[in-house]
Amino acid sequence: MRNTTLFILIIALVICVLGVLSIYSSTYQKEGRIWETIYQRQILWIILGLLLFTIISNISYRRFWDWTYLLYGLAVLFLALVFLLGVVRLGAQRWLKLGWFNFQPSEFAKLAITIFLARYFSGKSSDDFHLLSEKFGVFRGLIMPLFFIGIPLFLIIEQPDLGTGMILFIIFISMLYMTNVKLRYIVSFLVVIILPLPFMWHLLRDYQKERLMVFLNPNIDPLGAGYTVIQSKIAIGSGGFFGKGWLSGTQSQLHFLPESHTDFIFATFSEEWGFLGAVFVLFLYYLLIRQGLIIAQRTNDSFGKLLAFGISFMLFIQVAINVAMNMGLAPIVGIPLPLMSYGGSSVFVTFIALGILVNINKQRAVF
Amino acid sequence: MTRIRIVIWIFGAVFLLLAFGLLNLEVIHSGRYRELGRRNCVRLLPENGCRGKIFDRNGFIIADSKLSYDLMILPQDSIEQDKIIIAASRILGKSEKDLRRTFKSNYISISVPVAIAKNIDIKDAIALDELKVDLPAITIQPNPLRHYPQKRLASHVLGYVNEIDHWRLTKLEDYGYNTKDIVGFGGVEEKYDYYLRQEEGGVSFEVDHRGKLVRTLGFRPPVNGKDIQLTLDIRIQKIVEESLGNKKGAVVIMDPYSGEIIAMASSPAFDPEVFAEKDNASINNLVSNPGSPLVNRAISSAYPAGSIFKVIVATAGLENKKIKGSTSFLCQGSVRVGGREFKCWNTHGLQDLAGALQHSCNVYFYKTGLLVGAQALHDYAQKFGLSRTTSLELPYEVPGFIPSPIWRKINRFKSWFDGDTANLSIGQGDVAVTPIQITRMMAVFANNGYLVYPCLTKSIDGRDMTRLRKKAEKLNLKQENINIIREGLRRVANEEGGTGSVFATLPVSVAGKTGTAQAPPKQPHAWFAGYFPYKNPKYVICVLLEHGGPGYYSCLVGKQIIEQMAKDGLI
Repeated sequence: MRNTTLFILIIALVICVLGVLSIYSSTYQKEGRIWETIYQRQILWIILGLLLFTIISNISYRRFWDWTYLLYGLAVLFLALVFLLGVVRLGAQRWLKLGWFNFQPSEFAKLAITIFLARYFSGKSSDDFHLLSEKFGVFRGLIMPLFFIGIPLFLIIEQPDLGTGMILFIIFISMLYMTNVKLRYIVSFLVVIILPLPFMWHLLRDYQKERLMVFLNPNIDPLGAGYTVIQSKIAIGSGGFFGKGWLSGTQSQLHFLPESHTDFIFATFSEEWGFLGAVFVLFLYYLLIRQGLIIAQRTNDSFGKLLAFGISFMLFIQVAINVAMNMGLAPIVGIPLPLMSYGGSSVFVTFIALGILVNINKQRAVF
Repeated sequence: MTRIRIVIWIFGAVFLLLAFGLLNLEVIHSGRYRELGRRNCVRLLPENGCRGKIFDRNGFIIADSKLSYDLMILPQDSIEQDKIIIAASRILGKSEKDLRRTFKSNYISISVPVAIAKNIDIKDAIALDELKVDLPAITIQPNPLRHYPQKRLASHVLGYVNEIDHWRLTKLEDYGYNTKDIVGFGGVEEKYDYYLRQEEGGVSFEVDHRGKLVRTLGFRPPVNGKDIQLTLDIRIQKIVEESLGNKKGAVVIMDPYSGEIIAMASSPAFDPEVFAEKDNASINNLVSNPGSPLVNRAISSAYPAGSIFKVIVATAGLENKKIKGSTSFLCQGSVRVGGREFKCWNTHGLQDLAGALQHSCNVYFYKTGLLVGAQALHDYAQKFGLSRTTSLELPYEVPGFIPSPIWRKINRFKSWFDGDTANLSIGQGDVAVTPIQITRMMAVFANNGYLVYPCLTKSIDGRDMTRLRKKAEKLNLKQENINIIREGLRRVANEEGGTGSVFATLPVSVAGKTGTAQAPPKQPHAWFAGYFPYKNPKYVICVLLEHGGPGYYSCLVGKQIIEQMAKDGLI
């Protein structure tokens, strides 16, 4: 199990290094001091992230059982604070300024809610292998947790950040699925949610409607909303099999690709490292997530099992949606690629999540 | 726990799907995206070289390039732009509104200079260039433009240049031609376009997403086109064109030994510069003119040969031993062939071959032609290079046509009658020849029996082309037969009663043959083909006046040319 820890750590670090290289490359020709130091900051986030990873991996994950409501409360509090004194960036209010660090509470909320759900559906004692939810009816199995999720979900969607909101919702559904809530509850719940969706269309913000339309056909507005998708596809496609080489990607270097160091880091990377590099990175993510699932499978404790699964799923859904949107296969939502995209909040939360995962694996041996 | 298995499968499937997406983008469609990416960031600022010059045989320039100036603005700073437009409107005398409109319609991106006035006067260009100290965004772009210093001179030999048309583009695309390229149309400009054309050079540079220059990628110096020296002598060409005046027709003067074309004129002519300058009114005028000034009548129009053809009939008769120089026929003004009366233009009485040539007696040649036979006449005409192109280095040469019994049978399903042979004997019927072919035929008698290949180029890019020419073909005619015909040709121009006796007064002795080719209902075409000086021929000449009347009128033009050449010491 030491091997598992090392394995996860090494994969995460390789992904981080590739991320830093791409961030360096995408800001290489940009002028101004902020740009010059941005990769250094990412390195700093990664080092701090590693520190968090080490600390968390040595704290028994059972402690999170006790802290669940505290974490949940903090998440809601932060999200509420964003409303009151958040920093507006890129037309959305998603950040809290904590000294020199811009904290993104929705990243934190993802993890907090995963922990919350894992606790909600599992018994207190670590000897209790059975999930509570097996006995739950509609109310306790569906409506109660939905209510708890609903509060942060609403706050996030109002930021507005439909992407993270959607991810929270999908995590919720997947946890329902994993906790053996009856399938017919889940299906009928989904039907109830999906049916009125077409009528929700006019509730979406203009830019969200635009993004959905553009996702369906990027050429509607090639210089406006469709620009990013087209440029991202060009960046990935022009990489070819071997890529253009590090620091030689024209799409990112000459700023044709917006957000080339954050949400579109995958396109930047693919342009310079080609099909080989991109598939390699995808494979690394697969190994990482697979490792998480293996831990979930091995763990008997239902809280640990659910938590390991939730963390794996959280990583998976972010990677899948981010990569798909980079390739124009999903609408553009503001979701970073874990460990690669520039951003402290995402790096920290991901390392914390990995720390928990490693700890679950360690504890398993204790029991 | 089966649900986690299902999830593991789903994860695997999604990753596989993403990998396939990557494969699709980065491997299968990679070429397309690579091109799109390149187009995003690479721009070219073209700079043109000069089209190759064209010289005459003595090194005088017939075609070169002059510089035209375009006023361009680098649209980086909008305040400066306004100042430039105000200044330009003052200097060029154009309204600011117009300039602004041109600016808007030509604008491409912030890094590409915009042309706001094209083809401006050199004085204005200098005045504007001086403003550059205060307004650095001004660019005066010199643009080479085709220039013909001799104006209309030899316009048909040269052709003209214009923007490439669809038909040429489809033909030439594989040779690196693009839309909007300036290419030659007709004449040497078209034939040697590949050598004459310049290679565009320029600066290619990389721009960022706002079109701002990031770095220059490279500079390719423009390459000038290759120069071509023609065999034309523009002094003689000038005389020829002046003598031809505005009479519709063509004149060819050729060296009888080498086949070098010394002068080639076609009238009406055109000013090739109107195409380079895009003077649309004049271009429309040229294209719609019923006189077809763009057609080179010396090679691209075929006419009935008329009496000129008698030279071939005589040669065929002598060579086939059907007649001798001393053979005489009686001309009574007409002869009956196949139940039809064939007329002569006069009553010549009894005369021998030289006399018949001298007077251009139809009856003599009706009889000779019938003796020789239609097929043999056709074969001899071919031997002299008729009914095929001469391989002169100009496009759009027509082969002309000589009828034969077999052709008539196959293509018209009609029999050939003696009357047709009689008609052929005086170069009428379906006979169609071009002035260049007649010049070449006449050269055979000037050079004692060689069929030369007419040619126009002396050198390309300094490389001597004379060695690459086709060798003259020996026709294996008997010298005595040639002498008999030469004597006849001499008499035409020198003896009293010869159809070309106007030449007799010239200081230079001329030999030749006239022709009056019937072209009812209009006036006949007037032919004269000959060579001079008679003793040691230096030049072969052919004059054709389209619907110009009897051959006499061509003789007058020919005489004027030779007279002037003698006066200028060019013979």
